[in-house]
Amino acid sequence: MDRRDFIKTAGGAFLLASSGAYAFRVLTAPSAGWMDVDFTPSGRKWGMVIDMNKCREDCTACLQACREENNVAFVNDDRYDIHWIRKARLQYKEESENPGKSVILLCNHCDNPPCAQVCPVQATYKRHDGIVIVDHHRCIGCRYCMIACPYNARYFNMKESEEWPNKDFPKRSHGVAEACNLCAHRLDAGKMPACVEACARQGCGALYVGDLNDHSSEVSRLIAKSAVKRIRPDLGTEPKVYYIGL
Amino acid sequence: MDIQFESIEGNSWTYRITLIVLAAFTVIGFLATLYVIDKGIWVTGMTNRIPWGVQIVMAVYYIGLSAGSLVISGLYGVFGKLEYKPFARIAVYIAMLFLIAGLLSILTDQGRMDRVFIQPFVHFNLQSMFSINPLLYSGHILICVIYLWALFTERKKTTKVVATLAFGWAFCVHSGTGAIFGFGARMLYESPLLPAAFVAAAMASGTALMIITIVVLFRITNRHVDDALILWLGRFLAIILLVVLYFLFMENAYRVYVVELREAALYYLFGGWHAILFWFGLIIIGCCIPMFILFRNKTGNSVRWVLIASIMVVFGILCERYVIVLPGLMHPPEMFPGMLVTGTGVPEGIAPYSLSVVEVLQALGVFGAIGFLFVWGLKAFKLLPNEAKALV
Amino acid sequence: MKGKPLLSPADPGQARLIVIIAVLIFVPLGFSVVSQVSRNRAESPNDFLEKPDPKYEECVRETSYMRFHHWELLRGIREEVVRYGKRSDVGLTKCSECHTSRERFCDKCHNAASLTPDCFDCHYFPK
Ligand code: HEC
Ligand code: HEC
Ligand code: HEC
Repeated sequence: MDRRDFIKTAGGAFLLASSGAYAFRVLTAPSAGWMDVDFTPSGRKWGMVIDMNKCREDCTACLQACREENNVAFVNDDRYDIHWIRKARLQYKEESENPGKSVILLCNHCDNPPCAQVCPVQATYKRHDGIVIVDHHRCIGCRYCMIACPYNARYFNMKESEEWPNKDFPKRSHGVAEACNLCAHRLDAGKMPACVEACARQGCGALYVGDLNDHSSEVSRLIAKSAVKRIRPDLGTEPKVYYIGL
Repeated sequence: MDIQFESIEGNSWTYRITLIVLAAFTVIGFLATLYVIDKGIWVTGMTNRIPWGVQIVMAVYYIGLSAGSLVISGLYGVFGKLEYKPFARIAVYIAMLFLIAGLLSILTDQGRMDRVFIQPFVHFNLQSMFSINPLLYSGHILICVIYLWALFTERKKTTKVVATLAFGWAFCVHSGTGAIFGFGARMLYESPLLPAAFVAAAMASGTALMIITIVVLFRITNRHVDDALILWLGRFLAIILLVVLYFLFMENAYRVYVVELREAALYYLFGGWHAILFWFGLIIIGCCIPMFILFRNKTGNSVRWVLIASIMVVFGILCERYVIVLPGLMHPPEMFPGMLVTGTGVPEGIAPYSLSVVEVLQALGVFGAIGFLFVWGLKAFKLLPNEAKALV
Repeated sequence: MKGKPLLSPADPGQARLIVIIAVLIFVPLGFSVVSQVSRNRAESPNDFLEKPDPKYEECVRETSYMRFHHWELLRGIREEVVRYGKRSDVGLTKCSECHTSRERFCDKCHNAASLTPDCFDCHYFPK
């Protein structure tokens, strides 16, 4: 056997062994499955109502509270800052002297989330209670979800920020995508999301989060009795964030 | 006709210096990637508004080249054109390398490269184009390997079967790549035509690349190739270019015609840097001049002119990839049609983008890696025929 | 085997077999030898691990289970919490209530096994 043959055989055996090891690793990985979506029906479907009539234009309490609760990266550079919730000003293009009105924008937690549809690893998915959430342990950082989202609501952790205000909640290292998770950890614990609490503390009470399936809940009543709008429902994404006075 | 395949000697200094230069590129790209892993994706010029950049452009481009080269090898394998047998091996080899290049580009573009090898296979998402495509790609590489093996061992029947499979698979691969964009939600991406347009562009660039490779390689290694073979490929290229232009026209005509897309289409066609690339890079240099050269009798029958046209096409299709990927991202999705959105802390409106050094270095590294493999393969495998003659 | 020597290195087929077997044996063996050599000398983890405050008697599960299965526990909890919203009173952040230092407890073991879990990029755990 000459040197060439030796290299070939040894290389082949090594490749075989390592691919076997790789296959073993993939097959024994936790919860290997084609579609690991949770199908357990749950009575709840979280939704949000934003009453822009009650919202004060100069108030940013909800933005601040969100940052402090969820350790959202902020590096003071508008290309890399992450905003789970943000305030924008809307003006008609024709009449630029009109001051326009402000609006609160956040992830719409769509019922047909395009971001979850395109995620190649099911890191972004719709939880059984309707919250669209990112599993940061799985995200490979391909950024396809940012391209699919028609609401510009998804962000990428380009830079890590040093601040870590809420030590009980993880921050994110660079290289994963994220968006508002409707404070799922607080909802699970029976508390309201940080932005809602902050808004109530300011005395505005413009934000409501509640169960859309429960017809006696505050959000269902508001949706039933007032003129609500959603952002671009024509896209078929079925957003679950409703606006009053938009 | 009896063709002998041989490997090149590879003792000359040009050969060695080429290898060293390509290896240096690879090392540079590798270092750039390490830098990205350490610092984060932002060093490649990505922002929250422009999540995809040069790496994805190059990935799509490479995958197109790969699919196109496979079509050339199909001339012999599928359609039984015996006179193209001399190019079959090199075409499949190039197809395989470019697919690897595409995968490398995608890999080095991920935020968490450590998770790429496990998560997509464990948590497969059937609904995602990004999840289906890696399957197509890895299948493509596998088929290329089997195809090469069949060609090397001169198995006629297997070659035919595998070649047919590879031919169809190449179409699927590139349609799938087009579907990543075409089925997306961005205004300038969304189009059922895009997969088909991608396949056409892929075939154009692949054919052009094969012409360049064959002409240059055969000249450097002092091999004889009949002009008629190259000229036929040139005419083939001209016809594909017509198809490419047709798709481009239909797509943009639709966008300009439909009211809701008109503003975006005008931005695409006339709004900035990419418009220059579109008109000059793609339409004029990439399609019109080459078609003029190839269809004109005098220039179309000269190998030198066909070579020049091919180089233009390869450049033009690169511009096409750029103007598909980036303007679609720069143009914002319309959340409030007809309204101006300001003061959000995120740059609203048309997002700025400029090339960054690091991502160009990364792309260079990928190019160096597969260039190295290609040049090395010429020596290691019997890829080149002793001569290529036309059937009389 | 009629008179044929069991192994004849002159025969390419058999030589190939030897190489394959050698690779299959020696590569894993090499890995384990290297990891043995680079391992911390201490015989039992208890010799070099920091003990939690004595007022805590038990870990969140039995100590013997924790020693060899805490990663499975953490992964399981992670799956339940993040994907199904079943909050649990055990969590990565809560380990630090008793195991106050990462350097003197978790990393001691992990370094010996040359593991670098990336969890603490995101999860808070005092050094
Ligand atoms: C990219 C950042 C990131 C990394 C890396 C990461 N996590 Fe997490 N982890 C999170 C986020 C975000 C949550 C969500 C917490 C929630 O919803 O309450 C979470 C939740 C968890 C939870 C359940 C809630 C809790 O706080 O205990 C566990 C357990 C967990 N992670 C374990 C791990 C382990 C083990 C690793 C390392 C292998 C790891 N994580 C790495 C971001 C990360
Ligand atoms: C209530 C306090 C408490 C909490 C919370 C706790 N531990 Fe422990 N842990 C202990 C005690 C006490 C021991 C036993 C130490 C001994 O017997 O030497 C122990 C032992 C261990 C050991 C075995 C050490 C050895 O000697 O081999 C591991 C591993 C461990 N814990 C991991 C964890 C992890 C991971 C978490 C977070 C999920 C955690 N512990 C949370 C109290 C705690
Ligand atoms: C007794 C030694 C020992 C101690 C103490 C210990 N670990 Fe581990 N840990 C291990 C070993 C061994 C593994 C490797 C498991 C595997 O993947 O096969 C591991 C794996 C892990 C993993 C999974 C890593 C991955 O890549 O998935 C996590 C998370 C983890 N440990 C967390 C902790 C935390 C937190 C502590 C401290 C509270 C701790 N460990 C203390 C031995 C230890």
